[in-house]
Amino acid sequence: MKEIVFAGLGGQGILTSGLVISQIAVAKGMNATWIPQYGAAMRGGTANCTVKFGEGMVYNPAQEEPDILLAMNNPSFQKFVGIVAPGGTVIVDSALVNCDTAVRDDITVIGIPSTEMALEIGHAKGANIIMAGLIAKVSGDFTEEEGLKGMNEMFKKKGKGKFEEINSKAFKLGYNFVK
Amino acid sequence: MAVAKKIPSILSKQISFCPGCGHGVVVRLIAECIEEMKQEKNSIINVGVGCYSLMTPSVEIDRFDSLHGRGAAISTGFKRANPDTLVISYQGDGDAYSIGIGESVSAAYRNENITVITVNNTNYGMTGGQMSATTMPGQKTTTSPLGRNCQTTGMPMKFPEMIASSFPEVAYVARGSVTKPAYVNKLKGYIKNAFEAQMNGEGYSLIEVLSPCPTNWGMSPVESHERVNGEIEAYYPLGEFKLREEK
Amino acid sequence: MSDMVKGNHAFAEAAVRAGARFYAGYPITPSTEIMEYLSTRMEEVGGVFIQAENEGASMNILTGASASGVRCFTASSSVGMTLKQEAISHMADSDLPFLAFNVVRYGNGLGTLDTGQSDYHRDTRGGGSGDYRCIVLAPYSIPEAVELISVGFDLSDQYLVGTIIHTEAALGQMMEPCDMPEMKTVERRFGAIDGTYSHKRISPLTRNRLEEAVEMKERYERIKANEQRWESEYVEDADYVLVAYGLAGRSVIGAVKQLREEGHKVGYIRPITLWPYPEKAFEAVNPEVKGYISVEENATGQMVDDIALTLKKTSQASKDVFALTYAYGVPAMKKIKADFIRITKGEIKEVY
Repeated sequence: MKEIVFAGLGGQGILTSGLVISQIAVAKGMNATWIPQYGAAMRGGTANCTVKFGEGMVYNPAQEEPDILLAMNNPSFQKFVGIVAPGGTVIVDSALVNCDTAVRDDITVIGIPSTEMALEIGHAKGANIIMAGLIAKVSGDFTEEEGLKGMNEMFKKKGKGKFEEINSKAFKLGYNFVK
Repeated sequence: MAVAKKIPSILSKQISFCPGCGHGVVVRLIAECIEEMKQEKNSIINVGVGCYSLMTPSVEIDRFDSLHGRGAAISTGFKRANPDTLVISYQGDGDAYSIGIGESVSAAYRNENITVITVNNTNYGMTGGQMSATTMPGQKTTTSPLGRNCQTTGMPMKFPEMIASSFPEVAYVARGSVTKPAYVNKLKGYIKNAFEAQMNGEGYSLIEVLSPCPTNWGMSPVESHERVNGEIEAYYPLGEFKLREEK
Repeated sequence: MSDMVKGNHAFAEAAVRAGARFYAGYPITPSTEIMEYLSTRMEEVGGVFIQAENEGASMNILTGASASGVRCFTASSSVGMTLKQEAISHMADSDLPFLAFNVVRYGNGLGTLDTGQSDYHRDTRGGGSGDYRCIVLAPYSIPEAVELISVGFDLSDQYLVGTIIHTEAALGQMMEPCDMPEMKTVERRFGAIDGTYSHKRISPLTRNRLEEAVEMKERYERIKANEQRWESEYVEDADYVLVAYGLAGRSVIGAVKQLREEGHKVGYIRPITLWPYPEKAFEAVNPEVKGYISVEENATGQMVDDIALTLKKTSQASKDVFALTYAYGVPAMKKIKADFIRITKGEIKEVY
């Protein structure tokens, strides 16, 4: 069972990024849950969601001990880095998270200039897709094809199939950012 | 030549209202209109909480006992579930204008295709004559024993005027009285107009009826009728406030 | 494989597919997506959708619809449900079925926007004035909610009572894969008001309230005897049995399974009906059990009372009953496990 926390500013596509990962898992026949943070914690423009997926039943769908944390700004990194499971991975946008990220020696931190990379391929709002690609890879649970299939089917059903080419490009960039 | 008027078939037994009370006349007029319009098997009367709740064992059409003040909302449910059926919300001034003012205004605001009939006797009759939203200035009730002080309690509410002026889209609004034979005939015309408007899908209709309450006013039936024709009618003018439009 | 679907959207669609064609409501977080969804969906299926002026009016509108024999429902959250209680009590008095979603948000008064289980007592005891109950169903997942919605409508019609789908903000807001059932068509309830006066109604002035009260009690006894629902596991040899419903129940199942793997003899009971309370579930528990632990998303502990009452009824009154209360949010499995260990060490005192 994997747990991933997606956190950042409202408008960065954080919730969609989480949904993409959960849908990729479901498309592969796994169980998955996606749960947003709402209420008081949502005020101030921050957004986060927790995704859990795996072969068995997802018990507690809420935040517990994420294997992967995606932090798209400093407050998100600082708020959630403490609950990441030992041995877990933290993925940050290296341009947006400029605080000290070397705060724990039992986790791996990956910095990726996702916002910049998205602009370079002409997909200004695609940083979250790049991040989804990277998370799909880091989780170790999905091939690139499985990831693309799950994501593209989801957007097609939402009536956003016309962005398939550019989304695929962004996803691949993220997926192949690490070996 | 005197004509013996037949009691409408949908009134099965005598209703025991106080001598001089207006409710009996209003119920009778509603029954006559339903019968004349041949809607005996296509009507629902939703009866609020007041002395008039006494009518329910006697009125032989589909009927429902509403919550206090919630008549317009419950009638909305009936109407939306039975859009081709005549739906009547029968209420008093306390029921419709005080505890139920939100529901009453909102049904008119939505232009809900129902007919609301409110009987205004300037007090809470069933509970023994307390001050209501329509109690006249200086009128003594059990909760205004020194006479209603409008400086602290407000002036009596004119609901039909408020609805007609605030919601010009509604179908029909009128105020009648039961205290003279000519008034009764006119009131029947108002009620029929409202029912026809509803069956014609024209929208919300409202009839307020001025009614004596001799028991709680501490008056004889005759005195109470005189009071309606004088003081009350002077404040609450009779007539139509919103006419049906040609459709 | 089905797609990820949001709880509130699934609830709304499931009600439509259960044949409900009448919705009246008032927006309140975190249930609002239900009514937003229905604002267009009801029109598609030829149903009625009314955004009422307030919570109470929406419930009163349902009163007219239910008296007309139409399968009808509303959705709200905690304080909004409080405002509906006058009408709910009136509907109980008139034997009118309905279904209401309470997407619970934690707190008193206006409360918070966060998930919780703070309405247990209110919803399981009727809620308004009088001497009535509503059937209360507490799903722990979106697919289970979808299943229980259809069950709830049917139970309401069968017993002429209201049904509350008692769920949590988190379940309404979360997403998981869920298949939708086939569309059902439901006829108007026999004997309902339709304007034709085919079924004479008794006036409140001529009702025999005593006879009615006796009949109502018998009806409630039938519900208690026949409609208890729960899920349980590992109770036959358990030293401790954890009891929790909804998402707390889901978390407890995970915690119990982990504790078992770690060698602790623990079991769980997950009530699915909160009223009637699943007393029968407690009859299968190991007679040597050391204690019961209620796990709840609130501060004061509410369901713990029903556990104690049930133990009295099932001749286990001497057993200890603990409450692990988490206000608010879905309790983490590791937190439940840690607090369970504290109970075994005597660090948390029993409630009963």
